[in-house]
Amino acid sequence: MPKLKVDGIDVEVPAGATVLQACEAAGKEIPRFCYHERLSIAGNCRMCLVEVKPGPPKPQASCALPAADGQEVRTDSAMTKKAREGVMEFLLINHPLDCPICDQGGECDLQDQSMAYGKGHSRYDENKRAVTEKYMGPIVKTVMTRCIQCTRCVRFAEEVAGVEEIGAIYRGENMQITTYLEHAATSELSGNVVDLCPVGALTSKPYAFEARPWELKKTPGIDVMDAVGTNVRLDSRGRQVLRSLPRINEDVNEEWASDKTRHAVDGLVRNRIDKPYVRVGGKLQSATWDEAFQAIARAAEGVTGNAIGGLAGDLAEVESVYALKTLLGAYGSSLHEARVDGALYDVSQPASWRFNPTIAGVEHAKAILLVGSNPRWEAPLVNTRIRKAIKRGAKVFAIGPQVDLTYPVEWLGEDIAALGDLPDALTQATDVIVIAGMGACTIEGGYGAARQTAAALGAGFGLLHTAAGRVGALELGFVTEGGLAAVAAAAPKLLFLLGVDETDLSAFDGAFKVYIGTHGDRGAHAADVILPGAAYTEKPGTWANLEGRVQRAERAVFPVGDGREDWTILRALSAVLGKTLPFDNLGALRAKIAGDHPTLANEGIALSGALDVAPRGGDVSGAIVYPITDFYLTNPIARSSPTMQRCSAELLHGETFAEAAE
Amino acid sequence: MGALAKIFTWWNGATFGTGLFTRRFGGRVGSDSLGNVYFKGGTDVHGNPRRWVIYAGANDASRVPPEWHGWLHGTIDVTPDELPPARPWQAPPQPNLTGSREAYRPAGALEAGGKRAAATGDYEAWSPN
Repeated sequence: MPKLKVDGIDVEVPAGATVLQACEAAGKEIPRFCYHERLSIAGNCRMCLVEVKPGPPKPQASCALPAADGQEVRTDSAMTKKAREGVMEFLLINHPLDCPICDQGGECDLQDQSMAYGKGHSRYDENKRAVTEKYMGPIVKTVMTRCIQCTRCVRFAEEVAGVEEIGAIYRGENMQITTYLEHAATSELSGNVVDLCPVGALTSKPYAFEARPWELKKTPGIDVMDAVGTNVRLDSRGRQVLRSLPRINEDVNEEWASDKTRHAVDGLVRNRIDKPYVRVGGKLQSATWDEAFQAIARAAEGVTGNAIGGLAGDLAEVESVYALKTLLGAYGSSLHEARVDGALYDVSQPASWRFNPTIAGVEHAKAILLVGSNPRWEAPLVNTRIRKAIKRGAKVFAIGPQVDLTYPVEWLGEDIAALGDLPDALTQATDVIVIAGMGACTIEGGYGAARQTAAALGAGFGLLHTAAGRVGALELGFVTEGGLAAVAAAAPKLLFLLGVDETDLSAFDGAFKVYIGTHGDRGAHAADVILPGAAYTEKPGTWANLEGRVQRAERAVFPVGDGREDWTILRALSAVLGKTLPFDNLGALRAKIAGDHPTLANEGIALSGALDVAPRGGDVSGAIVYPITDFYLTNPIARSSPTMQRCSAELLHGETFAEAAE
Repeated sequence: MGALAKIFTWWNGATFGTGLFTRRFGGRVGSDSLGNVYFKGGTDVHGNPRRWVIYAGANDASRVPPEWHGWLHGTIDVTPDELPPARPWQAPPQPNLTGSREAYRPAGALEAGGKRAAATGDYEAWSPN
């Protein structure tokens, strides 16, 4: 634990810390471009120069200098000031002064730091260097003349995303950052390099020239594109969410977000259901709220008990699922199901469906067994944690069709029967985690076999969900014994669908289907009455991520057209049906939820108790099929998004969009 | 225009005082196509010859045609009748139309039909058919 002095302030930092970290511990701001907490240290921008004694009589790069006992660091001396001004002058030699037309303007590290640490005038008269633009795919726009060669993007691609596709070519002043052969970066995390870039060299292509940062309203939200529950900041102007950026949450997403999280938001203004529809004579016709409610009331006449059912879709938030469950309860029905992907797993206790090792806990595993799960597509931010574990020496084993997970994997076979024949390296390891995906749970007995394997290995067991709304609905007990097949077998006469778009609804042909949702997708086309709901950015909602972590989002914009928050639709409908729900506002609703389901009362993970003995096991077999076939098009919002459609076409189906060289 | 309006308003033609001054000191120089009459007489504080215009109608400086504008502001000393004839490509001058019916309306203004281009927050609605 070295003790040192920074500007006369005594600080003590953990062993292995750098001088820069020591300065931050002392509350001193050190300007930097290449240094990033989550990436390896490069030390090539030289902006973090400080004066250090003892040592050579010259300023030293604090990011690459280990803190040592008895050091005296000056961040406010004349030498440090002059060094910073000099470095800034060098950086600006080849940086174009095009801030007024640069998308980074207003949130640019170089802009801010040249204001704070620069000289304020230029002594440079020669021509500036110019660099041709590089093609980096549908997400990242490049203006490489602005690049200051900090190599953050290179380090991110290699270390976090795990695709060695971005690199530097040529030397010295001629150094250029490019993707390998100028192909699109194939990572599903490529959008993060836009945030990492301290200048405007890498900017967001879909967001190019859309807005300035100071005209945007920032709202904390929760992402619903996957079950990770990425903490996001929704930037909106007027009635449109223009971009979605990650917020830092060390337990969930660190400071990353997947490309789907970032860029599916343009699907929120396309293909929207903006008014109620009623099916008349086999055709959907627009209707007023009153007409739609009356049509439902007619269908509900004389129907009681389990003749009424409900399904909760992938994006449904806790509030609306609870409102639907209460409404069904008023009819005496318990025919409701959240596992609309047809997967079957034990729902007797929270630990049985949660991702018990926790997302952050994955990092500390020594061995990881993936059963029927492709985390790269199902939860890219869990995949980055597995990569981190591998860096610490973990080994990964997987059962399922071989895919590129960005790290070395020992494939044990495509059939889940491989669970019965595990290699010694796994059975003798300590700190094992078994991650079961929906690909295993859709196989008869697959869940039980995976959990029994975990119990036999003394391993942590986690279910890798694919849908943001699933765990919240499971915590509410929105399930039926036997799953989706049992609901279909009960043949309900009236069926409520909370945004169910990934499920084949032909099994419910006999039912009068009421669809509450946002986009005209599969569910809407099958429905008899459509009620326009609110998308995840348009309502204050609660979601539980795959760990069971309760997270609340705020409303960024209002629903389009006649759309309403989903639970208020159910509340209004209940009054028409004569079964008025006992809550009138969000506070009352959340109080009710907290009363009935204490695990959903507060944000964070509520303790779920240890996993009891595995339900049943035995020999199961069946070829594993991963639940996601197209990473970019997994929900109606993403399918409506032109950016996601292009990503899918270009990165997964090999279509070429690269602009011709100029 | 009545005598009372002449005394109490200023926005059409010369005021009472200007009319009196013009009758006493002004020498008529000429008039333009709109009927505005141009005068000169005496010198101003800098010793330059004083030139002025009395509008036929609204007192709107943009109603002075460019050739008379040049004379009025001392850019040229000759009156426009002595200038070379206008080139065939020269468009006739147009006074400022702001506030009039012919004023420019951006596309999307209610007076121009109200059909505006798509903006932030506009959405594409789904239609089942």
